[in-house]
Amino acid sequence: MTNVFIVLICFLILVTLVQIVRVGELLDNIRQKDYNLVTTRDNKRQSFTMVIVGIAFLVSCVWQYFAWNPLLLPPASSEHGVIIDELMRFTMILIISVFFMLHIFLFYFLYKYKKIDDNHKAYFYTHNNRLEYVWTIFPAIILTGVILYGLNVWDQITNADTSQSSLVEVYGKQFGWNARYPGIDNSLGKHDYKLVGGANALGIDMDDEHSLDDKVTRELHLVVGKPVLMKLRSQDIIHSAFMPHFRVQMNCVPGMTTQFAFTPTKTTAEMKMQEGEDFEYVLLCNKICGVAHYNMQMKVVVETQEEFDEWISTQKTLSEKLLTQK
Amino acid sequence: MSDHHNETFISKYIFSLDHKMIAKQFLITGMFMGIVGMLMSLLFRLQLSNPGESFAVLEWFLGEKWAPGGVLDPNMYLALVTMHGTILIFWVLTAGLTGTFANFLIPLQIGARDMASGFMNMLSYWFFFVATVVLLCSLFVETGPASAGWTIYPPLSALPEAIPGSGLGQDLWLIAMTLFIVSSLLGGLNYIVTILNLRTKGMSMTRLPLVMWALFIVAILGVLSFPVLLSASLLLVFDRTFGTSFYLSDIVIAGEALHHTGGSPILFEHLFWFLGHPEVYIILLPALGIVSEVISVNSRKPIFGYKAMVISLMAIAFLSFIVWGHHMFITGMDPFLGSVFTFTTLLIAIPSAVKVFNYLATLWRGSIRFTPAMLFAIGFVSTFITGGLTGIVLGDSALDINVHDTYFVVGHFHIVMGLSAIYGMFAGVYHWFPKMYGKMMNKRLGYIHFWVTFISAYGVFFPMHFLGLAGLPRRYYSNTAFPMFEGLTNINEIITFFAIIGGLVQILFIFNFYYSIFWGTKANKNPWGSTTLEWTTPIERIHGNWPGEIPTVKRWAYDYSKPGYDEDFVPQTEPIKEGEKEH
Amino acid sequence: MNIKLKNATYKQMLWIGMASITLFFAGLTSAVIVRSSESGWQEISMPKSFWLSTIAIILGSLLLVTSKRIVKKGKNPSDLIFLTFVCGVIFAVCQFKGWSELVDQGKFFVGEGSSPASSFLYVITFAHLLHVVGGLISVFITYTKSVNLKYSRENYLGIELTSIYWHFLDILWLYLFAFLLYII
Repeated sequence: MTNVFIVLICFLILVTLVQIVRVGELLDNIRQKDYNLVTTRDNKRQSFTMVIVGIAFLVSCVWQYFAWNPLLLPPASSEHGVIIDELMRFTMILIISVFFMLHIFLFYFLYKYKKIDDNHKAYFYTHNNRLEYVWTIFPAIILTGVILYGLNVWDQITNADTSQSSLVEVYGKQFGWNARYPGIDNSLGKHDYKLVGGANALGIDMDDEHSLDDKVTRELHLVVGKPVLMKLRSQDIIHSAFMPHFRVQMNCVPGMTTQFAFTPTKTTAEMKMQEGEDFEYVLLCNKICGVAHYNMQMKVVVETQEEFDEWISTQKTLSEKLLTQK
Repeated sequence: MSDHHNETFISKYIFSLDHKMIAKQFLITGMFMGIVGMLMSLLFRLQLSNPGESFAVLEWFLGEKWAPGGVLDPNMYLALVTMHGTILIFWVLTAGLTGTFANFLIPLQIGARDMASGFMNMLSYWFFFVATVVLLCSLFVETGPASAGWTIYPPLSALPEAIPGSGLGQDLWLIAMTLFIVSSLLGGLNYIVTILNLRTKGMSMTRLPLVMWALFIVAILGVLSFPVLLSASLLLVFDRTFGTSFYLSDIVIAGEALHHTGGSPILFEHLFWFLGHPEVYIILLPALGIVSEVISVNSRKPIFGYKAMVISLMAIAFLSFIVWGHHMFITGMDPFLGSVFTFTTLLIAIPSAVKVFNYLATLWRGSIRFTPAMLFAIGFVSTFITGGLTGIVLGDSALDINVHDTYFVVGHFHIVMGLSAIYGMFAGVYHWFPKMYGKMMNKRLGYIHFWVTFISAYGVFFPMHFLGLAGLPRRYYSNTAFPMFEGLTNINEIITFFAIIGGLVQILFIFNFYYSIFWGTKANKNPWGSTTLEWTTPIERIHGNWPGEIPTVKRWAYDYSKPGYDEDFVPQTEPIKEGEKEH
Repeated sequence: MNIKLKNATYKQMLWIGMASITLFFAGLTSAVIVRSSESGWQEISMPKSFWLSTIAIILGSLLLVTSKRIVKKGKNPSDLIFLTFVCGVIFAVCQFKGWSELVDQGKFFVGEGSSPASSFLYVITFAHLLHVVGGLISVFITYTKSVNLKYSRENYLGIELTSIYWHFLDILWLYLFAFLLYII
């Protein structure tokens, strides 16, 4: 029954609209005006509205920045993250300046050059090649600077020295994560996806001697100030390990192992003092992966070497977990 | 040309060979799909701003299966997001935009009776229609429509066990896309060949209006890039249906180890984005062309820097082929490739900037008339500036690390496609409506439509940049799983609020459009005082466009407010006077 | 549209269509190149029948070149066009024989015995054959029309279009064949 009413109401609104528009047209017919012709009055009103809305828009952008800046991510908790944040700041200042400048020009021209009467003529000016060169070369120079700066940062991130890095593997699957530590031999054991099953969720080849001391955990613990080389794998489909506080993101692709190297610089304890007791570092999935994509997370903890050693000693090795149960 | 004396309803309206009718078919279908796609976004926005809350309207639209108790099912959320993207990108902004304006304008603006092959043109529309039917059918299958994102990365899109929509829903999606690509290719062939061969006497390439250049270049982009999507889809179909391992390898799903080895999902990404990136320029360029016309006509000034505008269109098109990797910075591909793609991507900013400067220079010292079309063209310039600038952040590989697949990206591409390109489409509809239907659209409704849309749309998409910088990923059913996103609910509510208003005001546009077709005030032949050829045809619109001889062209398309003439525009058919320079 | 314009227009459409098809195969062959540089790539020896099919398709091209020359002199090329059709059928048959040779070698499209290389080999040759089927349809229509004396010294557009497309399939096959020989 409600549906019938809804349809009826929609129909009546439609009829009302039609009548309003028809009345407007008939009135103008009586006044012998061309109903839909854009008049000088329209130009004045619309250009004025454009300036008002334009200013309101720019003000709202500023307002949004001040209102929501506190909600953004805190400063980076990794070494490379700091240089990314600097690059971001530089780029943002650049684009925000251009954004304001161009919009001010836009709204100003729209207001100043509105057609005010029939005698108002435009200035016939077709092109200026020198101007074209200027405004091609000038942005090109600026963008070259941006490119060089950006590539420099990219190079520092992707060509990081990993000779001293500790190793950890992050393994994603629908819908959770595991971390695997290489143990004393600092070498991760081989894996074969056909071995996945039961307690061997990561498909580790237990015949490889390097696998015996590996530890598979449900949390990712990292030592502050120590470079880490993260290897990433996936069990089923593409996931993406996203650790926004560290400015780290890397896809986990089934059939290949990807990697990302970084050095955490702030412990969880420090962050709790800064951001509040409830703060935790987190690793989220950032590539559409199915029904629980929005809830695929792993706790990340950054701590001192002693705290880490204590934690890792409580974790079972794979030989304890898998082989002793045979 | 074909003899249209004995026209039946079917040959006039259904299987028409007339480019003007085919254009309208594309427009109407595009508008319909636009409503469907937009409705989907409103449905999932309800979930995003009020996660887990019950909305009767959700159950009303989606039924008990997909919105039990009025709460959106997470699988259906992903399905809606996927279909929203697919419909708006391909059906509305590619077919709806290019299909309408290329078909309508090309023969009229170059001075031809019709397209080179009316038959192929008709086929192009009907392939599109069948593709539409197939895609809409996929909404009703039991396991749900395709849900792996409009980018359909395997293995997710190849394995129904990973997500139900990757079953029959994904099959139908692939069939619909194949038909769509055929439609696109047939159309593109026609556009290119018509512009090259059927221009009237005096219409040299340099006298073409800019929108013709844009549509010409877009057609070339399309015929070169869509086939690669076809090859990507073909291999995906083989993986899904026959069990090959082009993209699949080392997979354990639903407790079972699959037999696939040796495949690479990254291969799909390369092939997909080789189309995917030119695709967004296929969407943008027609809007750039339309806006050039509308701004120029309504400023009563030539478009500034015609040659530079043409060259920048070509530069954007060429560069668009070599930037696809910027969608793949964090896939684990070779970092050197990442550097290459950063370089090429940031280069594209240059011709884009040149175009914006030229638009501003056109407005400078113009005599600006604010028609609804002009307002949308201005809206285009504003959103193109905003969206283009955030592209500089995303194109920089190091910066992309932390914003990839977050709402920052969602904000960026919606502002350039969902705002800029759609505004271009609106501008085109308002501007050429008198030529399409012989009537004027209601001006007041047009003004209301523009202002409410402009304000709401920025209200929806500008805040998304902040969500992205706060780390919020896209395609998330809800933010409630992570305490770090708790403070963002407010922003989400504001976004949904503006989305609903912006969505509802489109009803005014639809109303205006259909009302004006039947009861709009009659237009005269050239209501905007434009110089181009389409305005020299009779209002009633006839087959073959001109009743007698096709006019010959004596000058370029932009003689507005030219000194030495009383009128503030000189049609292209007007001969050059003694001592007058062409331009 | 006058004849000259019509001819130019349809020829251009064909060229653009062929550009699209080229990009389609470029996508497939790039995929092969990318995959071949990764691990687990085993080369496969080309079935002998594919050499025969190469000859068949080249023969078809030669026949069509001759047909064009004949029709320009005002004579009827129907027989040659029919022979071209036969060459096309021989091409298809040889492709199928080639695939059975592969099966005999133990190289399958999918499942046990398949490898990335073998899957690609089947897909690429199959895709090419599909386009050849299109060419065969075109040849057949041209044949019928020429039997019905639709072509003359002034207007032989159909023969031209068919032969341009056939040459394209020919060159495409030569490229694909060489590519498969070298990479797979």
